[in-house]
Amino acid sequence: MSANKEADGGWKTFVWNSEKREFLGRTGSSWFKILLFYLIFYGCLAGIFIGTIQALLLTLSSYTPTYQDRVAPPGLSHTPRSEKSEIAFNMNDKTTYEKYTKSMTSFLEKYDKDVQLDAGKFEDCPGKPNPYRKDLETDKTMRRACRFSRSLLGVCSGDADPTFGFKEGKPCLIVKLNRIVNYIPRVSLPSPTYPGGPPPGATSRQRPNLIPLHCTNKREGEEGLVGDIKYYGFDGGFPLQYYPYYGKLVHPQYLQPLVAIHFTNLTMKTDVRIECRVYGDNIDTSEKDRYQGRFDVKITISL
Amino acid sequence: MVEGEETNFPLNARDCLYLDWSHNNGHLCRPLQDDHEITIEELEMRYDTSIKKGLTSSFASQVLERDGPNALRPPKGTPEYVKFARQLAGGLQCLMWVAASICFIAFGIELARGNLASFDNLYLAITLISVVVVTGCFGYYQEFKSTNIIASFKNLVPQQALVIRDGQKNQINAIDLVVGDLVEIKGGDRVPADIRVIFAQGCKVDNSSLTGESEPQSKTPECTHENPLETRNIAFFSTTCLEGVANGIVINTGDRTIIGRIASLASGVGNEKTPIAIEIEHFVDIIASLAIAFGFTFFVVAMFIGYEFLEAMIFFMAIVVAYVPEGLLATVTVCLSLTAKRLARKNCVVKNLEAVETLGSTSVICSDKTGTLTQNRMTVAHLWFDNHVHAADTTEDQSGQSFDQSSETWRALARIAGLCNRAVFRPDQEGLPRLVVGDASETALLKFTELTIGNIMVYRDRFNKVVEVPFNSTNKFQLSVHELEDPMDLRYLLVMKGAPERILERCSTILIKGQELPLDEHLKESFLTAQMDLGGLGERVLGFCYVYLNEKEFPRGYKFDSDEMNFTTSDLCFAGLISMIDPPRATVPDAVMKCRTAGIRVVMVTGDHPITARAIAANVGIISEGSETVEDIAIRKRIPVEQVNKSDARACVINGGQLKDMSSEDLDEALRSHPEMVFARTSPQQKLIIVESCQRLGSIVAVTGDGVNDSPALKKADIGIAMGIAGSDAAKNAADMILLDDNFASIVTGVEQGRLIFDNLKKSIAYTLTKNIPELTPYLIYITVSVPLPLGCITILFIELATDIVISLAYEKAESDIMNLKPRNPRRDRLVNEALAAYSYFQIGAIQSFAGFTDYFTAMAQEGWYPLMCVGLRAHWENVHLQDMQDSYGQEWTFGQRLYQQYTCYTVFFVSIEICQISDVLIRKTRRLSVFQQGNKVLVSAIVFQLLLGNLLCYCPGMPNIFNFMPIRVQWWFVPVPYGILIFVYDEIRKLGVRRNPGSNTFVIVDNHPPPLPLVFLVAGCDLKHKEKVSAFFHESLFCFSRYFTSTPH
Repeated sequence: MSANKEADGGWKTFVWNSEKREFLGRTGSSWFKILLFYLIFYGCLAGIFIGTIQALLLTLSSYTPTYQDRVAPPGLSHTPRSEKSEIAFNMNDKTTYEKYTKSMTSFLEKYDKDVQLDAGKFEDCPGKPNPYRKDLETDKTMRRACRFSRSLLGVCSGDADPTFGFKEGKPCLIVKLNRIVNYIPRVSLPSPTYPGGPPPGATSRQRPNLIPLHCTNKREGEEGLVGDIKYYGFDGGFPLQYYPYYGKLVHPQYLQPLVAIHFTNLTMKTDVRIECRVYGDNIDTSEKDRYQGRFDVKITISL
Repeated sequence: MVEGEETNFPLNARDCLYLDWSHNNGHLCRPLQDDHEITIEELEMRYDTSIKKGLTSSFASQVLERDGPNALRPPKGTPEYVKFARQLAGGLQCLMWVAASICFIAFGIELARGNLASFDNLYLAITLISVVVVTGCFGYYQEFKSTNIIASFKNLVPQQALVIRDGQKNQINAIDLVVGDLVEIKGGDRVPADIRVIFAQGCKVDNSSLTGESEPQSKTPECTHENPLETRNIAFFSTTCLEGVANGIVINTGDRTIIGRIASLASGVGNEKTPIAIEIEHFVDIIASLAIAFGFTFFVVAMFIGYEFLEAMIFFMAIVVAYVPEGLLATVTVCLSLTAKRLARKNCVVKNLEAVETLGSTSVICSDKTGTLTQNRMTVAHLWFDNHVHAADTTEDQSGQSFDQSSETWRALARIAGLCNRAVFRPDQEGLPRLVVGDASETALLKFTELTIGNIMVYRDRFNKVVEVPFNSTNKFQLSVHELEDPMDLRYLLVMKGAPERILERCSTILIKGQELPLDEHLKESFLTAQMDLGGLGERVLGFCYVYLNEKEFPRGYKFDSDEMNFTTSDLCFAGLISMIDPPRATVPDAVMKCRTAGIRVVMVTGDHPITARAIAANVGIISEGSETVEDIAIRKRIPVEQVNKSDARACVINGGQLKDMSSEDLDEALRSHPEMVFARTSPQQKLIIVESCQRLGSIVAVTGDGVNDSPALKKADIGIAMGIAGSDAAKNAADMILLDDNFASIVTGVEQGRLIFDNLKKSIAYTLTKNIPELTPYLIYITVSVPLPLGCITILFIELATDIVISLAYEKAESDIMNLKPRNPRRDRLVNEALAAYSYFQIGAIQSFAGFTDYFTAMAQEGWYPLMCVGLRAHWENVHLQDMQDSYGQEWTFGQRLYQQYTCYTVFFVSIEICQISDVLIRKTRRLSVFQQGNKVLVSAIVFQLLLGNLLCYCPGMPNIFNFMPIRVQWWFVPVPYGILIFVYDEIRKLGVRRNPGSNTFVIVDNHPPPLPLVFLVAGCDLKHKEKVSAFFHESLFCFSRYFTSTPH
């Protein structure tokens, strides 16, 4: 059997000896031919590949993605981000919430009034919820973005309190609806279609041309733990005049409308689970994707 | 004992069994002691028995308790769990075990690092293990079933023995016999144990199953030889008593009998590895080294890029595991068992699945004559009467032509043949074939007369037998005297048969066309010519004569005396000659011819006479028409045998005596120089020598056999083939395959299936290997370029285990030329070689990878992620907390949305591989023929099934969350199609290049005058250094294309 192995070039000899002998034994021209062949072969393949990709890119519109079925309906994201859906801090220890406040500060930088001055890029939109802009059919010209000043966020704007309430154990969360090119959320009025209907708190904040955001306790029976929630921005919702988004190329300065949630009376030293959700006709939620049209977060404040 | 002797033990022991029994002092060689030499009285003393009354029943049961039953213990059967474990320990299986443990380690590392999300490695490990176990169960079940078929063929009726105990005759089961029992045997019985004969009357036994001697041996009470195998007073277990009666004392039972010892010795001969096992090991070597080389390269790359050591280690493991072809094991096992099943339907039962393929690689078949090539029944072949030779019908089913039976002479001849015959049909039999008690020639005559003149038993009754002189070796004739059927005719009829020359001596007249003519010189000469001619055909010739006794001299009531022979035995009237032979089976000549065209040498190894052996060999085509032996040439050229150039003789007949004097080099030389070999009068151990010699010459040898004595050779052979009907259990145990119909032609079917499976496995493997690269490159790109993962683990498993197997099993039918090719050269014609791997991996596999990535980037770009954007995206893409990641259009994606997008990518990559593999299977499955010519409905339906399965996976609700398949857009199915066409065209161009080769010998073309186009592709074959490698590349990647060119049918 051992003789057999040797004759066959057993596996050790295959890896090293015989292979090596072959490497050494092979003439330069033979190696050259092989390398040349593979060079040409892969060169051609790469050429075909690049050609195909180029052809593909030609078919794509620079303004609108070909398909949006994976990205819609939009996700609901919040700042600061949670780690494993959890925001935990000690209200007396600045270091524990610094990362949150920092990310909020930097997020809100582009919502400063000062950066929205350029009239070529920004325009004023109605201060009250209004219908969306109906100029979808026009050509691909540059768009001006609706101004959205952070001051609309009231106490959560960070102007007065750079810790966004974290210091006092009354944290703010800034919520935005993920942007999708040419997407227009639809308001669900007067009779909401989603199962169960919006809770009374949300119904009370329903307005025309506004997608309301509403947060409640996630678990039943924990109403008391959440306490009072205040909403800032356009009546605690996303006004339609900010939609649609026309895409990075023609709408580079686009500012999404924001809603700030202020938890004014959170129970301390307890895990408080909160679920926030937007209510629109074309904003479904998904079992699998917990950030689609809603999010949940656990806030734990220690002393 | 010295160590060297220890290892040679079986051979020594075998030698002492056959050759040097009495002089060998080894403990094994003394099973019989001196039971044959001592006197009857001493024997009685030794076994506490009596030659009158036998043993007492009570004592017998004590001995039975002590010695155990009188039966051959089946060789220590491998325990079932070991058999099962063997199924789990093949080359591929080991590869998969290693891969599974690597997966577990990788999973452990991931777990330790707190990465709870990744269960892929665990799933992979479990899948690998379950594939091994499930296929193991499958293979085990298949072999279990074969074992059952074989077991069902064992004698179900327990053998009976007539034993005298307490002075009473009893029929008991032979397995209850004990040492010292007094038993009686008669013609037709199997000897129930080793017996010291103490009384015998005309007892002859057939020792062929033990020693291979075909002549019946007479048994007498006298001790004639000190060697128990030679002496006449011992009858051996399992031999058959042909005629006469005898009784004797049982001296050995069960495994202590000679036959038992031989049977147990055969199990000492080790099992060789099957060719397919060697091939698969070689394949695993290639896979393993490529996997490690690849893994290591990317480990280094990952370290350079700046991954952590542990992370790089996990990459390394993942790459190694990705190289394991999970589906291949199942493909191989299922292919083998399907073929085994198919063979079983054609009367070949395969005990060991891998033996299916061995038969296909066989280059030499050492075949028995009797029973395998021939019908194993003496049959009347020719008659000579009226000065003419008449041919009788020798076919198995009497479908042949018969001769003219109108002559008076024929009637006289038939009457003699019918009357001067002691064979009788066994009474109370229904159906065919009817069993006959009597020796072979008489049986033949009995059946012949029965067929030609009707119910012979009734016929005999009409001619009342008065006296009979049985055949003996001094007279060499047999006669009987009968009353005539006509009660008015008071003459007696004397009929005689015997050796032709002895009969002729006693005749003065001869019957020609019913006329009694004087036997003149002219007629004598034509008689002699006829006798020589028939003898030269290897037939046993008998002469027949008769006379009407004078009613005056021998009136009714005359006292005939068989010893004195007080009646006329000369001046008889010669009737004719009848010659008999064991004719070849009808299917055999065709089968031998097929073997020849398939490049397989058929060597006859028989215990029979050289002349008979040669005649049968010539008859079935083992010695072809026009082939001459050295002796023939000598006669033709009228020169002494020594002066003949041995290489001129194609054929060669060697008998056992000559073989004994030959060294192994001489034998090798003889086998080399004469393509047509017949070994006659060989002993069983010479059979072993012949097999070994063939193997030394590099052949893969199949051996057929039925006797116990064949079992060592059956074991030694690469594939032992036992006979299902005639075969002894020992032979069946030693064999790898069993022919249920004892028919040589079934072997050819087996060869065909074996070759087919090799070719099909080769195709399947080439096909299966290819997609390893498109499965691996996504991961490599993922590591190095950090794109979102294009192909997931579960998806890969689906490609391997669901869709791919279906295709690999689409079995190609036997190409018509499969039996016109030479057997594969096990050293050159590999299942998989480096060149094939290189071609599959680096060329076809590369094209498939590009197809996958094209589709991947298409799906990504159309959903908003431009190709360049994808590069370096991995870290953010996989960040679970990032819920607003921006794509190329500024849209924001949640993690869940990205995950589904990733699944979409998995699915398009899956679809791309499937589409390309369809193209791959097309290029793999055809050789010379165009795809359109080579219709294969199974293949087409397999492709359709594969596509349907792909559609089911994509579009069945719930798939995204169970198996990570997304319903993809229809046009993404078509993105890889151009690449599929590219693969097809690329391979067609390459084939065209090969076809343009003008020469007939690939080596020459490649080595000396490389035409430009093939050269390019040769270089692509990656292994150019050696001639062999070059040819191997051609062989493998073109699927026997070169075989077509290089084979020179002779």
